[in-house]
Amino acid sequence: MTAAGPVIPEFGKGSACVTGDHVFCWDWVRDHWDDTLQPSLVDHVELTLIAVAVGFAIAFALALLAHRVPGVGQPVGVAAALIYTIPSLAIFQILVPFFGLSTTTVEIPLVGYSLVMLYPNILAGLQAATPEVLEAARAMGLERRQVLLRVELPLAVPAIVGGLRLAVVSTVSIATIAAFLGEQGLGYPIFQALKQPTPFKTEIYAAGALVVALALACDLVLVAARRLLVPWARAGS
Amino acid sequence: MIRKHTRRAAKAAFAVSLAVAIVLGLYAGAARPARSAGPTIVIGTKNFPEQFILGQLYKQALEAKGFDVSYKENIGSTELIQTSLGSGKINFYPEYTGVIVQVVFHRTFSGKTAAATTALARKLEAAKGFAVLKPTPFFDTDVLAVTNATAKRFGLESIGDLRKVGAFKLGGFPECKTRNTCFLGYTKQYGLQNATFVPLAGISAYAALDAGKVLAADVFSTDPPLGKSSKYTVLADPKHVTGFQNVVPIVKASVAKAAGPAFTKTVNAVSAKLTQNAIVAMNRAVIVDKQDPEAVAKAFLKANSLL
Amino acid sequence: MIGDAATAQTFLDAVAFVVEHPGFLAGKALDQLALSGAALGLGAAVALPLGVALGHLHRGSGVAIGASIVGRALPSLVLIGAFLTVLGIGFVNNMVALAVLATGPMLTNAYDGMDGVDRDVVDAARGMGMSRAQTIARVELPLATPLLLTGIRVAAVTVVATAPIAAIAGGGGLGDVIVNQASYRLEGVLGASFCVMALSAGVWLALAALQRAMTPRALRTDRVPGAADLTRKELP
Repeated sequence: MTAAGPVIPEFGKGSACVTGDHVFCWDWVRDHWDDTLQPSLVDHVELTLIAVAVGFAIAFALALLAHRVPGVGQPVGVAAALIYTIPSLAIFQILVPFFGLSTTTVEIPLVGYSLVMLYPNILAGLQAATPEVLEAARAMGLERRQVLLRVELPLAVPAIVGGLRLAVVSTVSIATIAAFLGEQGLGYPIFQALKQPTPFKTEIYAAGALVVALALACDLVLVAARRLLVPWARAGS
Repeated sequence: MIRKHTRRAAKAAFAVSLAVAIVLGLYAGAARPARSAGPTIVIGTKNFPEQFILGQLYKQALEAKGFDVSYKENIGSTELIQTSLGSGKINFYPEYTGVIVQVVFHRTFSGKTAAATTALARKLEAAKGFAVLKPTPFFDTDVLAVTNATAKRFGLESIGDLRKVGAFKLGGFPECKTRNTCFLGYTKQYGLQNATFVPLAGISAYAALDAGKVLAADVFSTDPPLGKSSKYTVLADPKHVTGFQNVVPIVKASVAKAAGPAFTKTVNAVSAKLTQNAIVAMNRAVIVDKQDPEAVAKAFLKANSLL
Repeated sequence: MIGDAATAQTFLDAVAFVVEHPGFLAGKALDQLALSGAALGLGAAVALPLGVALGHLHRGSGVAIGASIVGRALPSLVLIGAFLTVLGIGFVNNMVALAVLATGPMLTNAYDGMDGVDRDVVDAARGMGMSRAQTIARVELPLATPLLLTGIRVAAVTVVATAPIAAIAGGGGLGDVIVNQASYRLEGVLGASFCVMALSAGVWLALAALQRAMTPRALRTDRVPGAADLTRKELP
């Protein structure tokens, strides 16, 4: 007895929106938030946080060094400017032979780019204390370390936060390139969408909107943080 | 002053190292996998939707029968997944019979019939220690497609007709350039001296055809855009360059043996249900209707009492 | 480090690839420059007049700062994907996407340059009887030139460095090799990556030399542009 052909069930038609590739399909976003958009978003946030945290640590150390030791500032500043113009995709590929397709390969350039944004701003912030203020502090009997902690750092906060805003926004943007090296970050849904027989508009717009929204959200959080930390500082100072 | 700092620092460092050591120890202990009943079937798939569907079908069917399954989707092209299979990173993946013969083993042509191709693939893989299970009814070959307008303009019906066209661009997935089932086969067997290969990394071959970036493109016979009332014309392949391409699961022989007859029976039962209509319907659901391959596979298996 | 000998071999192979395919890579590089040039031109056509006008009027600083931030926040991949859905696949969609990226630095610097001109100098010029147009042409623009040209230079290098990504949308250029590891193998990808970096550096140096030649002698400084030139320190 030959077996009958298989039963082919209804798989659920995509909405007319999706099959017709209309401009934006909310139903697709709802259906695929869990399996496509959210994991990429989480990856993206992770990549950004690691990059900015490590970049901040290094930039802070370097800025502190430059602030204390005269003559270090200029060469580091030039190197920083040059790093920023290095093509991101090329740099990712060049690191692959060293570190393989790992998070390290992705993070090294991201750390580099955020470092470049943070360093000049942290340094400028540390230099914000005028000589008069420093003299007054020393006259009050504060040691070097206390001057740093209680005078220079608080005065540096606006500039540091400014640098963080730049670094975070840039890193969120550049992290989309991580998708070239693996299924990570919000660049990945865009890749997948481009590969379809007709490039899938909704996925591209949804992922793109998430990247921009993420950048904006981080920016707002940092502005709020500045207001909390230094309520006496006027915006733009 | 200095001595006090050093003592404090040393105490702190000791405490931190102890804590780190404890945490690492706990983690290593927890990470040891639980003892499993039989061998773990590590299923891999290539990098396109039909493969995701096949992978999910076999994965879910085996899990339902109590097998221990691990799943590595989207590994890459044939060349890459063969490396994974060889190195033991995976021990099971669905492959096309003609690809085994013509790409993995570099023969110019498949066998003379579908059955002969399967038998040849089985023989060649057995020599390397891999078992080839029963083939699916459906097949999925490379096909060379042009837009309907292009076919009309140059009067193209079969691949050989492309000789009439002047210099032209032929697009396809990157590995196509050196494959007997693809660009290499087309140009050599049909004498297409006038073709330049354009590797398509980002956009799909259909998008490239639509945009006029290439005149002809290598695509697959089960793709949704080639269905009814297609915008594209598939050129005939009388020399059978693209071979016979039913799907057979390749499994490491030792793993198949250890997993027992129930394993082979389960896999073959799934394969038997995969007719041309079934796979085309599932491809359509995933590619056009944007359903999740996992859900589509589950629905199919349930409807056919395999889950 | 993964196998130092293997890594060294890969780099040697990459150099060999460049040496063995000079014509091919040069052709790709020229394609990339063509796309970048077109994008830069389009961006300049929008950014420079707007930036100069706003800076002259000392109005719309928010727009200038905003343009810079938006340019930095919009990922190139998103722009390329979005414009592809609207403009199709090919030269035009990539040109427009890259032009959007180029606009930011040029607009911001054009604004800063014009806005930063010493008002006393402008008053003196008007006092001498110069018309508005003459003031702009003969006083403000020359003084704004250093910042303006720096903005163009930064935009140019940004575009050249970002163009490889456009290869996934039919943009051509050296990116065609970089995104196609399956075809060109790691050596090819590395070789093309080196070429992109060289191209990027070359554009930077060429435009720097051009800038030096174009800046009125009185305004030339030997100061090496620092990070401060490339990053805006102030945000609203």
